[in-house]
Amino acid sequence: MVTGEWKAVGSYVIKNRIRRLRFDHNEMTQQELANLARCTRQTIIAIEQGKYAPSLELAFRIARAFEVNVEDVFQYEENK
Amino acid sequence: MAPLQKRALYGLVFGVIWAIVIVVVFILKGGVSTFNDDQGFRLIIDGLWVGGLIVYLLLFETIGRKPSLLDERDRLIMAKTPKVQWLAVIFSLVAWVIALTESYQDAGQIPVIFLYLIFMSIIIVSSVAQSVGILIGYWRMESSG
Repeated sequence: MVTGEWKAVGSYVIKNRIRRLRFDHNEMTQQELANLARCTRQTIIAIEQGKYAPSLELAFRIARAFEVNVEDVFQYEENK
Repeated sequence: MAPLQKRALYGLVFGVIWAIVIVVVFILKGGVSTFNDDQGFRLIIDGLWVGGLIVYLLLFETIGRKPSLLDERDRLIMAKTPKVQWLAVIFSLVAWVIALTESYQDAGQIPVIFLYLIFMSIIIVSSVAQSVGILIGYWRMESSG
């Protein structure tokens, strides 16, 4: 389940599964994820809603918080 | 609302009140001619604008020292605010130049005290524009996607 979609360059989008992953990790709250990823809760909200594309470093920190690879959290796909 | 966004909103409200208070005090105390002659009047205005500037510095400088309140998204927005500040300063200078030229064209000279007033107004405009720039940055980011 993809929860957010950021319009990337051209016809590509960056999708993410953060909401799904939070749910799968004991219903982790946005604040808990923000603390683990060392960012603010508002940034997690913005990423989840596809209103902000995080830096590579923050993307790695979010993936590490879920103990998965970056590609399991973020997908770079062609917009259909 | 992000902590920086909240501070920008407080900054905007404070900045507008700050500017209005200075203008009202300036007019009520007699304007340019009195300002030129009365040192007490100048000290009141100095206190008002320097005091307001300190409030602004505290509002935006202290947040930068708390990593839990400021992250990469906030820094990205903050990095774009100088553009808004620059525009606000340019428009203010244009307004000053037009107003002073039209007012003192016949006299052929401008009272020196205006240099001080221009400087003070630019500092105020730039501070308020920082808040506006931050709020615009959040608004644009939240309306995209």
